[in-house]
Amino acid sequence: MRLKYLFPYWCRFLGWGLVILHVPLSMLGRAHGMTNIMDPQPRDQGIFAGEHLFFICTTLLMSAGLFLVAFAKEKIEDEQISHIRLDSLRWAIFINYLVLIISLVFIEDVPHMLELNLWVPLIFFIIRFRWVIWRLNQSLKREV
Amino acid sequence: MKNNIRVERAIKDMTQADLAEAVSVSRQTINTIESNKYVPSTVLALKIAKVFNKPLEEIFMLEDGD
Repeated sequence: MRLKYLFPYWCRFLGWGLVILHVPLSMLGRAHGMTNIMDPQPRDQGIFAGEHLFFICTTLLMSAGLFLVAFAKEKIEDEQISHIRLDSLRWAIFINYLVLIISLVFIEDVPHMLELNLWVPLIFFIIRFRWVIWRLNQSLKREV
Repeated sequence: MKNNIRVERAIKDMTQADLAEAVSVSRQTINTIESNKYVPSTVLALKIAKVFNKPLEEIFMLEDGD
């Protein structure tokens, strides 16, 4: 089985780079008084206001980074990896909707729910995918 | 589904890495197939049978629960 819609292997490292870069950038932004655009505030600044642009840039950086990490090929991309990938994606969607439904019922903060929804599927997918591969590697080491 | 890849490998004096390279998959995949944790696709099963020069049924067998 050939998977066409995956990024090359090196994109994983680029992705982690973007995710790591996002952290000091957002901290710098917050230190300079830039609040999260999702926080309740008067919306009279317009789309191209500094804060909004800053938020979009950092969010894009983080999302693009996670996306690259999640959908970069493995060194040897075989059918078992595809199987684990699909299974992890299924779990990520399950968890995402569970979190979404629970927060819909119990939390009234809709803008932050949107933000949560942006991260949960990708982060959970990456954790689950890497964890299964790590377990496979461990069982291989035990056999050798 | 059971298989006797481990036995066939021993007969041919192949390591998991050799077989993995012959059928273009990772060593983990061969290892999980051997320990019955992963059921390979038809294409991969046929490729493995071809490496051992044996019919598919001699390498992969159905179990009662299948």
